[in-house]
Amino acid sequence: MSVISRPWNRLSLAGKIILPLFLLLIALTVLLLAGWQLGLIPAVIELLAEVVRSNIDIFRFILTATLTLLITIPVAFVIIYMEMKVIAFLAGRIGPNRVGPWGTLSSVFHGFKVLAKEDFTPTGADAAVFTVAPIITYLSSVLTLLVIPFAPGLVGLDMNIGLLYFFAVSGLTVVGLLTAGWSSFNKYSLLGGLRAAAQIVSYELPLLLAPVGIIMLAGTLSLNQIVIQQSGWFWDWYVFQQPIAFIVFFIAAAAEGNRTPFDLTEADSEIVAGFATEYSGMRFGFFFFAEYVNVFILSALTVVLFFGGWNAPIDPRPILEFFRIGSLTPAIDVSSMGIWLLWVLAIGVPLLVLLIALPLWLLKSGWSFLKSLVVAFVLFNVMAIAAVTIWAFLSFEVVVGLFWFIVKTFTFVFIFVWMRGTLPRVRIDQLMGFAWKWLVEIALLNVFVTAGAILLVQELARQ
Amino acid sequence: MTTDRGTVRSLDDPNIWVDTPATIFDAVPPYPPRTEREAEFYHLRDGEMLLNLGPQHPSTHGVLRIVLKVDGERVTDLDPVLGYLHRGVEKICENGDWHHAISNCDPLEYVASMFSEAMPVLSAEKLLDLQIPRRAEYIRVLCWELNRIASHGLFIGWLALDLGGLTPLLYGFIERDRIVEMLASLTGQRMLFNYLRIGGVNRDLNHDFLSRLGDWMSKAAVELENETRLLNENEIFVRRTKGMGVLDRDTALRLCVTGPNLRAAGVPYDVRRAHPYSVYPELDFDIPTRDTGDSYARYLLRVDEIRESIRIIDQVLHEMPDGPIMAKIPRMIRIPPGRAFISVESPRGQYSCYAMSDGSDQPFRLRIHDPSYFTLQAVGHLMPGNLIADSMAIMASLDPVMGGVDK
Repeated sequence: MSVISRPWNRLSLAGKIILPLFLLLIALTVLLLAGWQLGLIPAVIELLAEVVRSNIDIFRFILTATLTLLITIPVAFVIIYMEMKVIAFLAGRIGPNRVGPWGTLSSVFHGFKVLAKEDFTPTGADAAVFTVAPIITYLSSVLTLLVIPFAPGLVGLDMNIGLLYFFAVSGLTVVGLLTAGWSSFNKYSLLGGLRAAAQIVSYELPLLLAPVGIIMLAGTLSLNQIVIQQSGWFWDWYVFQQPIAFIVFFIAAAAEGNRTPFDLTEADSEIVAGFATEYSGMRFGFFFFAEYVNVFILSALTVVLFFGGWNAPIDPRPILEFFRIGSLTPAIDVSSMGIWLLWVLAIGVPLLVLLIALPLWLLKSGWSFLKSLVVAFVLFNVMAIAAVTIWAFLSFEVVVGLFWFIVKTFTFVFIFVWMRGTLPRVRIDQLMGFAWKWLVEIALLNVFVTAGAILLVQELARQ
Repeated sequence: MTTDRGTVRSLDDPNIWVDTPATIFDAVPPYPPRTEREAEFYHLRDGEMLLNLGPQHPSTHGVLRIVLKVDGERVTDLDPVLGYLHRGVEKICENGDWHHAISNCDPLEYVASMFSEAMPVLSAEKLLDLQIPRRAEYIRVLCWELNRIASHGLFIGWLALDLGGLTPLLYGFIERDRIVEMLASLTGQRMLFNYLRIGGVNRDLNHDFLSRLGDWMSKAAVELENETRLLNENEIFVRRTKGMGVLDRDTALRLCVTGPNLRAAGVPYDVRRAHPYSVYPELDFDIPTRDTGDSYARYLLRVDEIRESIRIIDQVLHEMPDGPIMAKIPRMIRIPPGRAFISVESPRGQYSCYAMSDGSDQPFRLRIHDPSYFTLQAVGHLMPGNLIADSMAIMASLDPVMGGVDK
């Protein structure tokens, strides 16, 4: 017994955790290979696939709902970090640089901080409404993610009334903000809630009217179809056919998301924190998250409607044809390898790590074999990730689409953040006047001009 | 849903039990009205609401509490409540000797404390009829002008912040920090310098200070340009400040408003020219004025004053004489009995002091006239009729500092 117990006792705590896990991993790999060769595992997979296939709607719902809710958290963290860092650079500061590399984890810890804070309900507040309001706000932001097409085929639900659904659900935000302001039993909150109601209801109009021209051009309300219609080169994007609509839409989107220069609902120098004055803990966190998710969603919608969604700005097909390259699909078709893929992973990976480690160990005389092994493992992982990314980029349309979508969306997120760092806040009467005296009229004019142009083109085509 | 009645102690008087927490939020005093004005103010007509602003509010510039009577978002009336920062500085000064009064007067004007600490110093010198060395005078002027720039730079930032701009505040603070660090290397303190002495100044200029100053002077004008470029022609900023909070010439004079707020209304009154002190008569500088008297004029005027201060610093550095920095006076001074009135031009206006001495080593009385207190009177004239958002911007453009108001 002592043969095993002595080395075991010498291990550190981390070693005592890692070693069993390592052994378990080896055992599982052996079991997996054996099971596959014996034909047990394919049978189980087939059975599970059958269950999923017969209940596809339920599984799809659960998967979509979970993903939609889960994706908001990293997105919000990334945008919060981006905002802190970008505004810091604009103001000549360094910004967060303590938690994690370059402070990247600081927004995560902001999230933990919010969770750890006291959840406080002020005396006199309407407790039930006070609790429900942040949930309404959060959900009405998050649920709109359902219809946004992230990549070809990667859309929660391709509704034929997608745009209508988007505006209907995001319009519910105002209910959450107004009830939050009302139920807090605080005058600043009430003012903030009323401001939110007035502002969001006013800017809903130009926000809805601006894409009407696009709906007429595309002939559909489905966001997926609108993106597909913009495929090709970047001059096929709707922003070049509807530039005025884009400007109106972007201004209205900034107001709809309560972003500077339209952040009157939480104007800290006037009404403390607006509707969120009395909120603390995770209830405040919901408002906070909803705001940043809203920024992402509005940027995503701008991209989908005006900037071609997941379409790449250049069309690679003519270029490939010019150079007489048939297709960029790599020679190795991984899906057809079957069980051999598993063997390659089980034997090829350790071999490759050893192959990288050996020259390191031989050439770097100061390094122990373990150190060169660790370095080789890290290097191998970096190379593997790069290889898999390139392979996925070449093989799957989804990855390419997602890449372009994220790039374009975060460009607009950056513009929102930039605006916040640069502009002062407008006044409530200037805000309302701008919506009703300018934006609505321009949007309506745009609708009429677009309709006239479409009719004219049709008439000319008929002759 | 409301809580039980009679369960909350009043914030003003712990012996009184207030009906509901709403009474606190409503800012209604728990006692019957003491004056007619109070009775009129706290009588609410239909649709009106009292909004308690401060003493803990992000944009009241200190611990000012204002009870606003609002109709929707429009301010119809207001009732300022002072005294949250009252420390009895004037009385404390009477209990220490004249040297203690310098550091006691420091935190009165905590944004530009080089001016408030000059009060006992200049009074004592006037009572002693003391001629201080010329080098000390030049160093004082240098410090005053640097402090004026620091204060005005901060003003630009705070005005922008109260209008919702985040970045100009940081630009203002960067400028202020450079100057404050510079003064810290001269005086040893960043904020409350305690540098002036009766008969001169505490320490002579050192190498660290001068190298920092030269560094800063070489790019001060460019930095100011960078700082103000974000605001000067910004459409939102101009629309929020132009024509807002117009303090006209007669009202300003009637309310004893001095300093940049008065000059923005078109009155070229500057103590440095009207009642010259120190070496200001020998220096060449202009008194910028504006005619409109609105928030934008007050902003532009302060930017102009920063330029003039840079000009003054330039001249001071060129004409700085050699010599001692302290007059030859004993460490323990008995100030001859008498009365003296002195005033300096602080970034907020005429900072005056009426000092009485009974011949002992302690001031018999130091009556300090703080310009912020009189500026604050204008708030009552300018705020009603505006939206809450504009009221904040107007108060920021008047630039009061509560430390001197409550003393």
